[in-house]
Amino acid sequence: MEHRSKETLNALVFFALLLLFVFQFALGPDRERLAAALPGLLWLGFVLAGLLGLGRTFVLERENDCWDALLLAPGDKSAIYVGKLAVNVLLMLVVEVLLLVLFTFFFNVDLVGPLPALALVLALGTLGLAAVGTLFAAMTAQVRARELLFPVLLLPVQVPVLLATVKATEAVLLGEPLSAVAHWLKLLAAADVVYVAAGVLTFDFLLES
Amino acid sequence: MPDNWGFVLAAYGLAALVLFAYWRRLIRREKELSASMPGHPMSAPASRTPLE
Amino acid sequence: MTRALGWLAVVGLVAGLVMGFAVAPREVTQGNVQRIMYVHVPSVWVAYVAFAVVFVASIVYLARRAEGADHVAHASAELGVLFTGLTIATGSIWGKPTWGAWWTWDARLTSVAVLFVMYLGYLLLRGMIDEPERAARYAAVLGVVAALNIPLVHFSVYWWRTLHQPPSLMKPGGSSMPRVIVWALLVNFAAFALVYLYFLARRVRLLRLEAEAAA
Repeated sequence: MEHRSKETLNALVFFALLLLFVFQFALGPDRERLAAALPGLLWLGFVLAGLLGLGRTFVLERENDCWDALLLAPGDKSAIYVGKLAVNVLLMLVVEVLLLVLFTFFFNVDLVGPLPALALVLALGTLGLAAVGTLFAAMTAQVRARELLFPVLLLPVQVPVLLATVKATEAVLLGEPLSAVAHWLKLLAAADVVYVAAGVLTFDFLLES
Repeated sequence: MPDNWGFVLAAYGLAALVLFAYWRRLIRREKELSASMPGHPMSAPASRTPLE
Repeated sequence: MTRALGWLAVVGLVAGLVMGFAVAPREVTQGNVQRIMYVHVPSVWVAYVAFAVVFVASIVYLARRAEGADHVAHASAELGVLFTGLTIATGSIWGKPTWGAWWTWDARLTSVAVLFVMYLGYLLLRGMIDEPERAARYAAVLGVVAALNIPLVHFSVYWWRTLHQPPSLMKPGGSSMPRVIVWALLVNFAAFALVYLYFLARRVRLLRLEAEAAA
């Protein structure tokens, strides 16, 4: 489990760097456009990295034929979900912090002021992405064309989270107070509750033998 | 404002086409399947009209 | 029984056409192109009904493992995607002469587009799993999650498009629609609902046959 995480983390770090270059090439020296697009770019980066990382949640079990072991494990399988979710959230947060630092450095963005508010948005959004991502990763682990199916399933479901986080990030980076984005935060919190609850309640059904 | 009957026709036509095509597919698939299954009540030839 | 339903649907459709073209008046601002609404709006209403059925059937399947529930969920999802696609297409055809564009990213269109892709994914998932029992189980989980997501999609998209942004689009039908237009919409909705029920019955029957054939 640790090894898989390290592997995934390495891949994601390189991916984050790559994204940085791509964004720079795509938007070039146009400072204004870059600043305007920043919240979207940031979350695009998070989501793409998330797709890669989350998709690999069950790769070990799949590759090493441990899937059946998962199915036969006694006790509440939801615990497996929560465990995987926690690891995924952690992984994603690490990558996100890294991307943020890189953005600050390379694109000269001031993140110090809005940092606490940004951290909250990040936390809520990441939980939402990871909650559904972990569930869908289990769903697609043993399915044909899983690399294609996983993002196809995940992205439309994540539209509310993406909209909320981008809008909230936008406002926060402009220096607006948290109260201005209270509705987005409430939506994210509600989404997180729904997704985690759904994950915990339905995970068992995915792992029946 | 012009009436754009062409668009109206296109929309209704498309709806009709899609619904009809789906219906046809359902009918055809059901006939195929029941014909190919031995001992199924529907495989007796010409005993039922297609609109059942 | 199914046959009766089919004929009822035909009657309904005819009634809908009569309402939509003969009874309903030519709309004041948009002209006759507004009549597309009598296909477009009932379509989306039926789609929502279909996805609600998917939700309930999915829960029933997970609770009882009744194959019938699985068939209903599958068939209803298929029909939901069908009617959602029809909604988008007819809406687009209406939008071109009215707004000058085939598509915009306003709240309603975006919501419906997300709905379409979500349940298309549902059908894809079913298509990619060979074992029927696993397909049923996994699809049921997805059916539940997708349905729970619908209100979240609506709120997020609506706020995204309306807060801090002036409404830039003319809404189809004002806040107080003439009674005859409302009636035309309702009759067409009833007609489409009958079509949905008839198709649902036949599709479920076909699924049962397919399951028997595969066994």
